[in-house]
Amino acid sequence: MKDKIFGVLQRVGRSFMLPIALLPVAGLFLGIGSSFTNPTTLETYHLTNVIKEGGLLYTILDIMSKTGSVVFDNLALLFAMGVAIGMAKKEKEVAALAGAISYLIMNTAISALITANGGADAMAANSTTSTLGITTLQMGVFGGIIVGLGVAALHNRFYKIQLPQVLSFFGGTRFVPIICSIVYLAVGILMFFIWPVVQTGIAHLGQLVLESGYAGTWIYGIIERALIPFGLHHVFYMPFWQTELGGSMIIDGVTVQGAQNIFFAELASKTTEHFSVSATRFMAGKFPFMIFGLPAAAYAMYRTARPEKKKLVGGLLLSAALTSMLTGITEPLEFTFLFVAPVMYAVHCVLAGLSYMLMHIFNVGVGMTFSGGIIDLTLFGILQGNEKTNWIWIVIVGIFYAFIYYFVFYFMITRFNFKTPGREADSEETKLYTRKDLDARNKSANGQAALTGTDRVSALILKGLGGKSNLSDIDCCATRLRITVEAPELVNDSLLKESGASGVIHKGNGVQIIYGPQVSVVKSNFEDFLDKPESDNADALIGDAPEPADRVNASKENPTKAEALYSHLTGQIVSLENVDDEAFSSKALGDGIAVEPTVGRLCAPCDGKVETVFETGHAINLISKSGCEILLHIGIDTVKLNGRFFETHVSDGQEIRKGDLLISFDPDEIRKAGFRATTPMIICNSDDYSSIDTSASGSVSAGEQILELS
Amino acid sequence: MKTFTYTIKDELGIHARPAGMLAKTAKSYDSEITMTKGGKSVVCTRLMSLMGLGVKCGDTVTITVSGSDEDSAAEGIKSFLESNL
Repeated sequence: MKDKIFGVLQRVGRSFMLPIALLPVAGLFLGIGSSFTNPTTLETYHLTNVIKEGGLLYTILDIMSKTGSVVFDNLALLFAMGVAIGMAKKEKEVAALAGAISYLIMNTAISALITANGGADAMAANSTTSTLGITTLQMGVFGGIIVGLGVAALHNRFYKIQLPQVLSFFGGTRFVPIICSIVYLAVGILMFFIWPVVQTGIAHLGQLVLESGYAGTWIYGIIERALIPFGLHHVFYMPFWQTELGGSMIIDGVTVQGAQNIFFAELASKTTEHFSVSATRFMAGKFPFMIFGLPAAAYAMYRTARPEKKKLVGGLLLSAALTSMLTGITEPLEFTFLFVAPVMYAVHCVLAGLSYMLMHIFNVGVGMTFSGGIIDLTLFGILQGNEKTNWIWIVIVGIFYAFIYYFVFYFMITRFNFKTPGREADSEETKLYTRKDLDARNKSANGQAALTGTDRVSALILKGLGGKSNLSDIDCCATRLRITVEAPELVNDSLLKESGASGVIHKGNGVQIIYGPQVSVVKSNFEDFLDKPESDNADALIGDAPEPADRVNASKENPTKAEALYSHLTGQIVSLENVDDEAFSSKALGDGIAVEPTVGRLCAPCDGKVETVFETGHAINLISKSGCEILLHIGIDTVKLNGRFFETHVSDGQEIRKGDLLISFDPDEIRKAGFRATTPMIICNSDDYSSIDTSASGSVSAGEQILELS
Repeated sequence: MKTFTYTIKDELGIHARPAGMLAKTAKSYDSEITMTKGGKSVVCTRLMSLMGLGVKCGDTVTITVSGSDEDSAAEGIKSFLESNL
């Protein structure tokens, strides 16, 4: 049960990543735009003559500010769609559509009830808001997350639903937005009654947090850092940043909830004199330890590395430290010591918590879009001026922190002989590889092997995860590949680390492999690799011996010859994935392509021989001259027609030439009888080919090239 | 080596869809699995030959399994046939 909850939370956390990834850009727009349209800033920097209201530059900056702002104003919608995409297992784009529609419907249902109840004025103060022009309950991103999670659950349950024949148009993915609309109409009605109660509860909890004072900030900071190893920190801080839990405030006449929203509303407002520290206390604490503390810790690790390893470790630590300083992505650095010295991580958590508290005490009002790097400090601290932010304290505390981190880490590493990078025993390899080292290793190990570096990494990951059949779900957050596996015991950590990971975390069926910010590239490469036929033989690909080369050569020496196949029908090309039958669309029978026929003449796609004509005349097996095994299957489920509407013109064993008429049939009668006439051409021995180009689309005439095998 | 017979009960016989599923099931085992009907034997992993056998409702087929995991393979194929054909 615990593992299951972790698995779900992990997926929820990473599904936040897509909308969150937008925030730095939106924040950049808003930060630059609002800074230089703010009268106080302009006066401070003597820019009032350069940037004038109504002038071109001012207008451009104003556009930036407003377009940035609109992202933060509509985060709930982005979360409704983003979470739906993140949690949906397949056909994610449909989940996104359903998420957007459900969000609109839920809020409109609430809006109608508010009107029926006497309008917004009749509701409790500050409990309503206007989103996308709909007067609705103030639900913050919770509203979006409720929609996203529910839509994803409905989507995963129904996206393959089959409806009775007459309604079949509405089946499958089309059913998802329909059912979601209906459900969220009901949810909207329910929310109108439930949410005010929740609002009261959150308000009380938020009050408690606000009144907790400095100690509360410290504890918040410790918990936030301590959750990083579990990847659950997003789930923890998001409510503070985005909902009433992090405070509620009226800015320029609009009620704003959540620490981050308050900060950005104040940023967009031209009347702000000092940013509310009651909000930034949940953010500003990141700056001192991310920009100063952790890089100093990295320097301590560099200094304590063995001399002969310093060069290797130096590059690695430097890049991790720079990442932390500039962008505030700390995991690459934190994971270098988390696994080898958990005690040091515990110390780090306490210090990080203190940093939050110190920023609170020194009244520092600097917010952030995503994390606390120099970029955010510049935009939201320095550019806003010390008057409004007290940002100078970040630097003062930060310098202090640099010394503390350096000496604490140096002392602990040497005193307890922690095996941080570059201090491992001789037999062990340094745990983090730079990409160059990895590629160099590949070359020496594999000689002339055809596998490129990225494919070898993917092959290592695949084998480390226990093979293709063990994967149930693949995703990533800012720094980790997040995988759900069928059998966790098959996962091999050392192989995963060999692929360049700095750490691996297991929890139930969830596996998180930490790569750092380049993880999205690792993920894309991995997914591309999974689509390649080689990935079925991952084991063979990564052996140290010349085995992989042999394999690749073997399949090149004895290939089933490259071959072009020509359309078996005249009609519209349908990709196999879109054929309305699991047996074909899942490619269980093999890869291929289908045609929705307009003319009922099934022709030979190549020269060859008839292997079997099905007695019912609805399908035929052919073998081409070069050995390609082809199944042509007229219509879906048409075996049930038992020969009606089909006439065969060839018999078993007969030699055929490209374009020969094989079977004639009546597509309209087949459709009238309630069947689909979509006719797949399946390559039964797909595994014998390294690539099958199925990219043809549009309309096609019998005899035009439609597939290319090699 | 393990051998058993099975009489097809599905009224449509082994057409494309069940043949595909059977081939997929057979591929998941290391053992060589063959199906014999009327003196003609085919390897179950070859989808095309499986379809070519033209097995219909009421036909009795003989399944032969031999290899390292023949016990579990025979069990697996048997239960596949019973639940699908």
